Amino acid sequence: MIRNLSAVTLTAVLMASTAGAQTVLDVVAWKGNEAEPAGLPELIEKFEAANPDIEVDLTYVARKDVDKVIPPRLQGGNPPDVTMVDSSLVDLWGGAGFLNDLGTGSAWYDRMVPAVREVMTTDGEIRVFPLEVIGMGNFVNMDLMAKAGIDKAPVTLDELKAACQALAAQGIAPMIFAGGFPAMLFVGANGIDPNGVSPAEYGSGERTFVEDENFNAALDGVRDLVAAECFDPELQAGLDPWATAPQEFRSGNVAILPQGAWNIGNFSSVEGLTFQFAPMPSRYTDKGLALDLVGPGWAIPRDAEHAEAARKWVDFFAEEENLTVFLKAEGAYSPYTGGVSTMPDLAAPYTQARAEGSLILWPFSTLEFPKALQSEWEDSITGFLLNIDKPNEDTLQRWDDTVEDSM
Amino acid sequence: MRARLSLYWFTVPALLVIGLFFIHPILLTWNMSLTNFAGIGEAKDVGWRNYERIFTRDRYLQEIWLTLWYTVIVVSALTVTGLFFAAMLHRLPLIRNFSRAALYTPAMMSFVVVGYIWQFLYSPLNGGINVALRDLGLGAWEQNWLGDPALALYSVAFTQIWMFTGFTCAIFLAGFAGIPEEIGEAGRLEGATSWQRFRYLELPLLGPSITVSVMLTTIGTLKTFELPFILTKGGPDGATRLLSIDIIDNLFGQYKFGFASALSIVMLVIVLVVAFLQNKVLRDRENA
Repeated sequence: MIRNLSAVTLTAVLMASTAGAQTVLDVVAWKGNEAEPAGLPELIEKFEAANPDIEVDLTYVARKDVDKVIPPRLQGGNPPDVTMVDSSLVDLWGGAGFLNDLGTGSAWYDRMVPAVREVMTTDGEIRVFPLEVIGMGNFVNMDLMAKAGIDKAPVTLDELKAACQALAAQGIAPMIFAGGFPAMLFVGANGIDPNGVSPAEYGSGERTFVEDENFNAALDGVRDLVAAECFDPELQAGLDPWATAPQEFRSGNVAILPQGAWNIGNFSSVEGLTFQFAPMPSRYTDKGLALDLVGPGWAIPRDAEHAEAARKWVDFFAEEENLTVFLKAEGAYSPYTGGVSTMPDLAAPYTQARAEGSLILWPFSTLEFPKALQSEWEDSITGFLLNIDKPNEDTLQRWDDTVEDSM
Repeated sequence: MRARLSLYWFTVPALLVIGLFFIHPILLTWNMSLTNFAGIGEAKDVGWRNYERIFTRDRYLQEIWLTLWYTVIVVSALTVTGLFFAAMLHRLPLIRNFSRAALYTPAMMSFVVVGYIWQFLYSPLNGGINVALRDLGLGAWEQNWLGDPALALYSVAFTQIWMFTGFTCAIFLAGFAGIPEEIGEAGRLEGATSWQRFRYLELPLLGPSITVSVMLTTIGTLKTFELPFILTKGGPDGATRLLSIDIIDNLFGQYKFGFASALSIVMLVIVLVVAFLQNKVLRDRENA
């Protein structure tokens, strides 16, 4: 009896000491909850199996709350071991010295898409492991297009205008063009020449929007769409791009919606909605222009308690098979060269444009355009749609003023 | 004398709470408003630059004007509608309790829920209001309720008025309950009509209720953020961009904590000045 009791006690002590030696990795992310699992539950299970001495404690914090929750922890010296960041947080927290340099010597750094690598590297340091690149373009309802006798998502301006006229002739609303976001995508795709001036030149004030031929032409291009009956600018100027606009597309009330690929899952859940995700028609290419938004990544805070385990977490995601799980769940592209495509067939037109090199990185996601310019674009393009006859200068000068204010 | 003085010691806990949780944060905000603090890292002293920017740019002066105008619309409408419903319900005791609860229900709902419901009602594409107008043969009255800069502020204000009419109505009903019945009866014996009794007897006696209602709704409306943010995010093209929306945008959209603090201080001063003037005018009117 006594011998049994001793054995049980010894086992318990051993188990307790083993449990005590286990590292609890504190990870904070705005993905991984029930609404947006992003494959994280599966990946955590796999990571823990591969690293039995590490237990992952994932805390979901909504993106809008990250600004309030994490800075006090960073400044207080008790940050999470790993935190999800986007480019603006890398700039803010990294600039203040609160994020570790992950090192440019790693294999994943070399595999990073050169354009992403260039914008994510600051002063020779890389403070984030980018997880994904998300496409932005046109969602096209193929059933409505078929009713207008079109079987292909438009990828050139001429195709887009022809589609609008054919759809309007059938009494179908051709396009959502809310000033807040969809219009920005069109203006960006027609103002930023993928083989021309770098967006950073506009963002730094080196080149002005108001005197720029490309952005003047982009606004003229909006007028062309109006002339082609794509949309009623005054009606759509103030339309909510995040709630009302996607809902109209979901309901099959409109044929074309400029939006981000993060809606693929949402739209795919609608029974009977047949759609494609296509690149944005642009005056610079006949393939359509893919607008890639550099998404979030992992960063290790300077004062992370378990920096070594955190590094293992980052390296785990750098393995292609693991990152693929995340990308597939997200409907996103890899920021690294090589690898298998995880995008569904309905995004084939967009994927093809990317493969052919017809793409730009969205300058608001790389901070080549200052953050304040985004809200000014939203406001001023809305104002432009409300009075489409006013000179381009009225709109473009506002962008230059905002850039000047940001310097 | 000593006993009376010792009574003041009892105010110390309350004063400590006020100092710690009200005065201290305001002083911190003031201090931050003189810096370029980004929410993390070091804050550099920039002197009066944030305030200079606020008072030299049309954008911010326009926001201050818009905030004041929005407050005038909402407070006036809430006072009139609240008074109207309270006067009606005061005369209709059988349905008073039910109607008061029904009117108050929107005020108990979340701003987010109310905002999204009204956003779909206002939508220019198959929105509830435009569809109803079309079905009623009033298609010519269809509007782009939130998309037209000339209309957007009034559409947002209407939602806020719809939401809080029950609140002001409840305040006025409490005021009506405090009016002695004899006064109304005396009016009736003198042959006063319902309107005359309201205008010359009840309305003057509702003075304290009007003061409370106007003060509370004014302070609440000056600080309004949720409805304009959810319905229009300050658009279209700044037509509903109230001061509070720009504060949040500067804080968490652009990480300009210093500048947002300066805007908050300006807002605080506006609220204090308006509340002080309003209180003085309404109290003088009550005592007249």
